[in-house]
Amino acid sequence: MTRASEGSRLVRRTLRTPITTRVLLLSAAASVLIGAVMVVLIVAVTAQRDAARSAFRSQEALAAGNQLEKSLITIENGVRGYVASRREKFLDPANEALTSYPGEVRRLTSLVDDDPGQQARARDIGGEIDDYVALWARPLIGLARTRPASARSVVITNGGRERLDTIQRDFASLFARERAVINAREDRAEMGSARAIAIGAGGLALVLLVAAGVTLYLRRSVVRPVVTVADATGRLAGGDLSARVPARRHDELGDLARGFNAMADSLQRSRDQLEHSNAELKRSNAELDQFASVTSHDLQAPLTTISMYAELIERRHAADLNGGMALVDGIRGATQEARTLIRDLLEYSRAGRGELALEEIDARDLVARALEALAGPIEAAHAHVHVHDDLPVVRVDRAGVCRVLQNLVGNAVKFNVPGRPPEVEIGAGRDGDMWRLWVRDNGIGMDPKDAERIFEPFKRLHGEEAYPGTGIGLAICERIIAQHGGRIWVTSRPGEGSEFSFTLPGAEA
Amino acid sequence: MRLAALAVAALLALAGCGGGSDSRKASTTADARPALRIGTKNFPEQFLLGEIYKQALEARGFPVELKANIGSSEIIHQALTDGALDMYPEYIGVLLSEVANVRVRPKSPDAAYRRAQAFEATQGFALLTPSPFSDQNALAVKPAYAGRHHLRDIQDLKRVPGTVRIGAPPEFQTRFEGLVGLDQLYGLHNAKARPLAIGSQYAALDSGRVDVAAVFTTDGQLASGRYVILRDPRGVFGTQHVSPIISRTALTRYGPKLRTIIDTVSKRLTAPAMQRMNAQVQIDRRATADVADEFLRGQGLK
Repeated sequence: MTRASEGSRLVRRTLRTPITTRVLLLSAAASVLIGAVMVVLIVAVTAQRDAARSAFRSQEALAAGNQLEKSLITIENGVRGYVASRREKFLDPANEALTSYPGEVRRLTSLVDDDPGQQARARDIGGEIDDYVALWARPLIGLARTRPASARSVVITNGGRERLDTIQRDFASLFARERAVINAREDRAEMGSARAIAIGAGGLALVLLVAAGVTLYLRRSVVRPVVTVADATGRLAGGDLSARVPARRHDELGDLARGFNAMADSLQRSRDQLEHSNAELKRSNAELDQFASVTSHDLQAPLTTISMYAELIERRHAADLNGGMALVDGIRGATQEARTLIRDLLEYSRAGRGELALEEIDARDLVARALEALAGPIEAAHAHVHVHDDLPVVRVDRAGVCRVLQNLVGNAVKFNVPGRPPEVEIGAGRDGDMWRLWVRDNGIGMDPKDAERIFEPFKRLHGEEAYPGTGIGLAICERIIAQHGGRIWVTSRPGEGSEFSFTLPGAEA
Repeated sequence: MRLAALAVAALLALAGCGGGSDSRKASTTADARPALRIGTKNFPEQFLLGEIYKQALEARGFPVELKANIGSSEIIHQALTDGALDMYPEYIGVLLSEVANVRVRPKSPDAAYRRAQAFEATQGFALLTPSPFSDQNALAVKPAYAGRHHLRDIQDLKRVPGTVRIGAPPEFQTRFEGLVGLDQLYGLHNAKARPLAIGSQYAALDSGRVDVAAVFTTDGQLASGRYVILRDPRGVFGTQHVSPIISRTALTRYGPKLRTIIDTVSKRLTAPAMQRMNAQVQIDRRATADVADEFLRGQGLK
């Protein structure tokens, strides 16, 4: 099982209530709340409107009832006036009222048809009025026409007034009931609207509270954990691999935290391993350098001794040796070779160690010094060196870079095609925020697949007989350039010459 | 509508569709008839009579609408003439003197009845069988007042010094059976009528607000012996048997059965029965409908 799948298994733990579900539930609850408040408000407004409507209707019913009462009084007064005076003019308004009252009864009855009790009352009143008209008013008018004295005696009995009193009592109860209905409706509507306002305000406050609660909740349980993870990610990116976040939750954010922690664990493990390997490598390199340095230094003394003894033999016993002098020369040659090798080794082991003495130097000065040092070999090889004028000012260690140029120009002169005088060109150009210096030749070149290997120490592509040297020069160059923060490489084809490039920091850096 | 229903019933009967269906149609037809409108005058005995006729008719399946307490003979007869009523119980004497305007007293109750019947026939009404009881108008005084002024009959009131205050219904003023007849037949010039609601004249007599009260001989209060009735030798107050006046239209509409029921009831209205019922209502304050119901059940009419 790989670590990655382990991690995802760790992440995909129990999602008790996912945040999605919780947010959805909260939204649903808020919606239901708002909906309920809306419904209550609508109901209250509707009740208010209905109450206003029915109150208006009730007012109309009261007005119709009053009109009817007025008509009755008109009839009674007209009849009485006619009976007393026998003047027809008294009957005119009464006759008009006698024509209009049935319509008024119908109107009253229809206006109270929303209340069965009231409708029954209105119908009773209608019946009483009919009786009053049919059994009192009209017979009395008839009687007054034929027997006025009898009619007057009948009027005195107040039968009409009694009937009207009864009717008026019934009207009063109808009106009282209607007013009670209006009041009850208005009270109910007012109470309803007061309640609706209270509920609306309460609901609004509740909604705001819920919104604030949701915001706080999201802040506490979503935003803050995310910010925590983001901060930790920032610290992690900044190199603090010990950054961790709490991962106690059982939701998506818990997963995120656990995933982050797993990632940080894995990173820290990798870096620990890397650091460990690096330290190992450094230590072994240092040991190796130390070893090379010590060894080469210690080898100097015996070699000097061997060389000295060979000198003494030559000087004191040259005569005794006869043909043995060639052997002594062999000893001296080998000793010299060993000393060169040891010197180069020492130089290699020192290169890239110790402090760089950085200064701003015109690269042309460096090239000039290198060429000066190589004046002999250049002349011997009849080489032609062309240096471009546009070389930059660089911030480098003078001795180191001089050594690099010397090595590269030396190689360019050395690895020439027999019979072809070496043509060496030195130039420069920008390479990002650094300068690239290049040394081009028309020499033997190399296979591109060897282009990397030649910077390894003691790596030689040719036999020492053809091109003498220890094979350590390019390795030294690589170390010096690397110490400057640059790199060195070659582009070449066999027989077509090579171009060595290396980068250096500019003066402005 | 009713004609259509009858036609359907007839057709069904012809087609021999069975009696059940027919009887149902018939009862529907009966129920569809408009209610018989019975009116009553404005005093308790009339209320009783109205209830008795109503309940008796309803017990036989006739729809009845009772219009109680309409007023005196003058107005109720006019309402009947106007067609606002179908029937009401009337006192024959009052009918003759106050409605038919007959000022000469017939010789016998029978003669009075025939005279009244003849009058009603000219108006388009029928006068049904009269009751055995007669509720005559009369003048009553307190025994003390009678003793003080030596009163025996109405004529004696002439000798009473000063004004004789008669408590009576308002129509007493204009009626022959009232001040008009008293003046004509007895020359009672010193009498003045005090209009009172019917039924309150006994209290007025007791309190001394009036000297004489116009009463009905069937009044329950008279049974107590606290009042003296003045004799009426010249017959200013006629015999007052009760007879329902009914419109001919109603008689035709409801058929002979209606008349039979009403006549049967009227024949049972004897003087003792009436006086007892009046006392139950006026003195015992019993509900008129209950008293009427009890009477009808006692007579086997309900």
